[in-house]
Amino acid sequence: MKPVDCELESEVLAAVLQNRWPHQVDAGLRTHVAVCAICADVAAIAGVIDDAREELRLQAKVPDSGRVWWLAQMRARREAAQAAGRPITVAQAIAFACAVGLLGACFGATSAWFHSSLRHAASSVAALRFQSILPVAFVAGHAALLLAMATILLVIPAAVCLAILRE
Amino acid sequence: MFRETAFNDIQRDSALDDTSVGFMMDEETFRAFYQRSARGLWAYLTRLTGDRQLAEDLLQETFYRFLRAAATYDNETHRRNSLYRIATNLARDVRRRSMARPAAVPAGDDIERVPSGQDAGTAERTADFTRAMSRLQPRERAMLWLAYAEGASHREIADVLGLRPTSLKPMLFRARRKLADLLGRAPRGGKP
Repeated sequence: MKPVDCELESEVLAAVLQNRWPHQVDAGLRTHVAVCAICADVAAIAGVIDDAREELRLQAKVPDSGRVWWLAQMRARREAAQAAGRPITVAQAIAFACAVGLLGACFGATSAWFHSSLRHAASSVAALRFQSILPVAFVAGHAALLLAMATILLVIPAAVCLAILRE
Repeated sequence: MFRETAFNDIQRDSALDDTSVGFMMDEETFRAFYQRSARGLWAYLTRLTGDRQLAEDLLQETFYRFLRAAATYDNETHRRNSLYRIATNLARDVRRRSMARPAAVPAGDDIERVPSGQDAGTAERTADFTRAMSRLQPRERAMLWLAYAEGASHREIADVLGLRPTSLKPMLFRARRKLADLLGRAPRGGKP
C-alpha cells in the first residue's frame, strides 16, 4: 500500500512555517525531501498556504467584537420573542377556524334559502339517477351538520397553514 | 453586514444593557475569544467561499450560532474547533443553496482581486494560488487550509469536517498532491 504520511512531515512543515526552509535546515532533511514525495509536497504547499493566510489576515476587515455581541443579543431576543409567540398564533388560527365553522353551521341550520337550494340540488341529483350512489335523503336531512363538517375540514387546515407560513 | 461605524458611537438600547440573553459565554470572554479567532476564521471562510463579503456575513452568523449553542468547552482548542465546525457547515449550506439557485452563486474569484499594496510578484503568486485552490473540492480546500494555515492536527481537522480521523490522512495526502500538481512549481524561492 502506498504510504500517505511520513515521519519527517511535521519537521518539514515546522521548518517551512518558521522560515527556516531550505537554507537553515540540516542537509539530511533536504536530502530526505528531495527523495520523499510526501515531504516534497508539504514543503511545496505549506509555504504558499502560509503566505496566503498572512495576506488574507492582513486584508481582513472583521466587524468589531462589541458590535457582533450586541447584534447577537438583539437577534437572540427577537427569536426568543417569536418562539414564545408561535403557539399563540396557532391557537388563534384554530379558534378562528372553529368560529367560522360554527357560523357556517348556524347559517346552514337556519337559512330557508339554503335548505331550498339544497333540496333543489338533491332533486337534480336524483333526476340524474344517482340515487344508489348518493343518499340524497340523508344529505337533505343532515345538511347543516354536513356543511359544518365540510367547513371545518376545509378551513382549519387552511388557517393553520396560513399561520405557519406567516411565521 | 458590517459597516464602518464604530460600535461605541452607536446609542445602544438601555434595556439591552441591563439584561443579557442567556448565552453560555459572557461578553468579556466572548470579546477576547473573538479578537483571537475572527481574522483567522474570516480568512478560512474567504478561502472556502471565494467571496469576501459572503465570508463576512458567514463570520457573523458563525459567531451568533456559536453563542447560541448551549455548549460548554473544555479548552480553547475545543472552543475553536466548534467555531470552525459551525463555519464549515454554514459554508456548505450556502454552497448547496447556491447550487440549487444558480443565479445566486457568488462570483468565486473575488479573492483574486489584488489589493493596491501588493507587489507584482506577490500578486501573481496570490492569483496562482487562488486559481489552484478554486480547482479543488471545497472539502479539500478546507482540510488543506486547516492543516497548513491554521496548524490543526489531523484529529482536529476530522472533528471540524465531520470525518473519521483514520480516513483523513489519505484524503489530506490526495488533496496535497492535487494542489502541488496544480501549483506545479516551487513557490517560496529555492524550495523543491
